[in-house]
Amino acid sequence: MKLRHYETFYLLHPDLSDEERTSISEQLQQIVTKGNGEIVKINPWPLQKLAYRVQKQTQGYYVVTEYGALAESISEITRRLRLNEGVMKFVTTKLSNKFDAEALAKARNESAPPVETVEEVSDSTQSTEKREEE
Amino acid sequence: MQNPRNNRTRRRRIYVRRKVCRFCADKSMAIDYKDCRTLRHFITERGKILPRRITGTCAKHQRRLTTAIKQARIMALLPFTSGHIIKD
Repeated sequence: MKLRHYETFYLLHPDLSDEERTSISEQLQQIVTKGNGEIVKINPWPLQKLAYRVQKQTQGYYVVTEYGALAESISEITRRLRLNEGVMKFVTTKLSNKFDAEALAKARNESAPPVETVEEVSDSTQSTEKREEE
Repeated sequence: MQNPRNNRTRRRRIYVRRKVCRFCADKSMAIDYKDCRTLRHFITERGKILPRRITGTCAKHQRRLTTAIKQARIMALLPFTSGHIIKD
């Protein structure tokens, strides 16, 4: 059976504790490893404002999970995410038809995750500088 | 008397800087639905997707951009309309 490269991106309820959030990601890891898959990376985002209200909440925790798995594990993952009430939204996308763990690890070392707050600050300073110049 | 046709041609000659597709100019820039920071450049204040003629994005990247923006909207990273934006 062939592994494919997938990514699951889900939004968690802001009232969940740290343990509850890690348990959800562990559940997903178990499903992937049980189905002979392999986790590439798990990237939990800090509490973030949403663009619109979801289940009356204005904030939420996003988690990005990248893994190689068989197509069958995906249906199990979506089933679990649907049942879990802490998960407000989720989406699974296929990144590639092939899964090569070694090549991915190499690429990962080169790219760094985006930093949210630092960029925002620099943006605002740039705009004020422009105004001063004018 | 002035010829209106002359007027029109003169108006057309206004120099417009040629827009280049930002994703073609910078190959390292990837279109990712999770990266709402870059996607925000391609939507209006009301949350509408900006047309190609304004942003200068090439056809190939515009296609990918629209799907990325739509996916980001589903995940509540970008607004569907400005009416739903949360006010503090």
